[in-house]
Amino acid sequence: MRYKSQRVAYAYWVVALLLYGLQMVFGLLAVAKYLGPDPLLHYLPFDRVKEVHTNVLLVWVLTGFMGGAYWLVPEESRTELYSPRLAYAALALWTTAGVTAVVGYLFGWTEGNKLLEQPYPVKIAIVIVMLMFLYNLGMTIWRAKRLTTTEGVLVAGLALTAILYLPALLVFDNYTLSIFYRWWTVHLWVEGVWEMIQAGLLAYLLIRLSGADREVMEKWLYVIVGLTFISGLIGMAHHYYWIGVPGYWLPIGGFFSALEPLVFLGMAIYAYSAMRRSGLSHPNKLALHWTIGSAIFSALGAGILGLAHTWPAVNKWTHGTMITPMHGHMAFFGAYVMIVLAIISYAIPEYYGHSEEKSESSVGLWSFWLQISGMFGMTMAFAAAGVTQTYLERILGMGYLDTQRKMQVHYVMLTAAGIVFVIGVALFLYDFFILAPRYARKSSTWTAEADLAEA
Amino acid sequence: MNKRQTRAFFYAGTGVCALVFLGMTWDTHRQIPILTNESKLTPEVIQGKRVWHKNDCINCHTLLGEGAYYAPDLTKITQQRGAPYIKAFLKDPSKFYSEERDRRLMPTLNLSEKEIDDVIVFLEWVGHIDTQGWPPRPILVSGSAIPGTGMMGAVSGTAPSNEPIALGQALYRASPPGCFACHSVSPGVNLVGPSLADIAATARRRIASPAYHGASKDAAAYIRESILNPNAFVVVGPTFSSGGLSLMPAGFDTSLTPRQIDDLVAYLMTLK
Repeated sequence: MRYKSQRVAYAYWVVALLLYGLQMVFGLLAVAKYLGPDPLLHYLPFDRVKEVHTNVLLVWVLTGFMGGAYWLVPEESRTELYSPRLAYAALALWTTAGVTAVVGYLFGWTEGNKLLEQPYPVKIAIVIVMLMFLYNLGMTIWRAKRLTTTEGVLVAGLALTAILYLPALLVFDNYTLSIFYRWWTVHLWVEGVWEMIQAGLLAYLLIRLSGADREVMEKWLYVIVGLTFISGLIGMAHHYYWIGVPGYWLPIGGFFSALEPLVFLGMAIYAYSAMRRSGLSHPNKLALHWTIGSAIFSALGAGILGLAHTWPAVNKWTHGTMITPMHGHMAFFGAYVMIVLAIISYAIPEYYGHSEEKSESSVGLWSFWLQISGMFGMTMAFAAAGVTQTYLERILGMGYLDTQRKMQVHYVMLTAAGIVFVIGVALFLYDFFILAPRYARKSSTWTAEADLAEA
Repeated sequence: MNKRQTRAFFYAGTGVCALVFLGMTWDTHRQIPILTNESKLTPEVIQGKRVWHKNDCINCHTLLGEGAYYAPDLTKITQQRGAPYIKAFLKDPSKFYSEERDRRLMPTLNLSEKEIDDVIVFLEWVGHIDTQGWPPRPILVSGSAIPGTGMMGAVSGTAPSNEPIALGQALYRASPPGCFACHSVSPGVNLVGPSLADIAATARRRIASPAYHGASKDAAAYIRESILNPNAFVVVGPTFSSGGLSLMPAGFDTSLTPRQIDDLVAYLMTLK
């Protein structure tokens, strides 16, 4: 840790990881309801569980991004943070808003708009936190008079995240229009500006971990971000095909959304070439795993599996089936969860000021491989369920409920893979909350003893 | 490429695509009133949309294929089921489906009469949005367009409650009488016998036509008559009839009880 105020990031990651744990609880509850019958039907029906599962994901990933920014910006701008106190205040407000929303959902307090269910007062609190956050970073960079491309891309991604939340505040009477603008927030987050954030964090990590040349890395960063918007803006069409928009969105949008995988392919090549050029000699093997893993897994989940059902002639049959969560789970995990876990894994040894070559990295690697295999299994289970549903329900015309009964076996597989995944997450939390502080305490006593011995 | 060129690529590419995207958005705004029948967007529809959001329907169901995948798509539901069925269903879904059999059930939402009416007109309005031909074939809640595939083991012939429609639906899918083996409930899917989708409206048309010589005065009576005496009105088709006589087996007047026939008629009347 080069600057004292980078400490702020740790508090953000504490909140992020606690919420990650909570998301797992609700994920397991949701899949249990697919196995059915549901003893909680009248207390906690599926909709509320799913709502918490997805909202907590958005909140904790954003918390992780903000932590990442508080870690990265002082280092890149070579200065202390403008106001750590403002950062802590923002985190407190953010956590309060998040917890209020989750508790509210459990009691049916919701706007019932997919992924933007946050009740209006919570939405306003979110906007205020975003402004506090951006002001803090903006002032830090302004005072330092130093802005690298890497941090520029990251901070621009976060600023645009805030701006693109504004359409979520609008209310439309026409359902088609309300879907149309809902995607301005949701799609342009996850297939637009969050890719900027991912690319910015990836560039930072690759520069730090592989010692790759900054000029070269930042040059290609522009290409990746350029591709993001060239494909992603008009590529929004794949959410629009069937909601009541003019027909030209199908061919034009289909073409551009088929280009979206190039971004993720670009990032995978980016990571691979940095690795080839500069080697993998960094001692923090765990951070390397998560970084390279993110680049590869997002190329599979967001890139290839997105491409699998993005073309209108295919999407016509798969739209609204289990094919969507197949892509959604792996894409979100690969692109955003893994990059947050990568920056955390990179920063924690630096935060404690000790080297990464130590006992708990084996727990960290177990966590990595269990999450990777669990998510891979879940994706396969969703895929099998989705293909079954597409053929039986959409093509052959078998009823929804009859088809779902045929899909039970895939839900059993989903549960099994999900449990493997959750064990991986639990190990990550164990490493973060228990092992890392314990190791830090131990190594500091060692240093003290060594000092005594010398004296 | 050097850094300046890649930066130019980013700015130019993003700028051009943003302009095209905003242009498409502007034109979409121009066309949406027609594509979504905005003239029929009444205060009740808007009220119904609020009911839809307030009850978080989207986190189990899909509408226009968007939402969650835990419950059936509702885009065309009013055209498939009709308002009376949906109304009865929303008051107590457990009367229509069995959690034991389907592994899941919709909770009773305790909606007011007004809320139910509003959400139904909202769904009706959504059902007429121009969706570019989606879904390419009807998405059914239960049942099947293919003979035999609707049979899911021994449990499928039992109804979850004593609601006549639920009993009729269970009977329709049970064997005997095996109605499902020849008739689909999907619009336009004719098996050996004609599709029974929207049979009530079809029945009214047939009663009104000069070719009809039976005794029925309304759709329910027509359906009952067709079950008991398939020759009262003969539908022409290579597998439907031959030499002016229906190919549907006779004898349901003795093999089914009057109560069972009532249930069957009640169920068939709900098919849209």
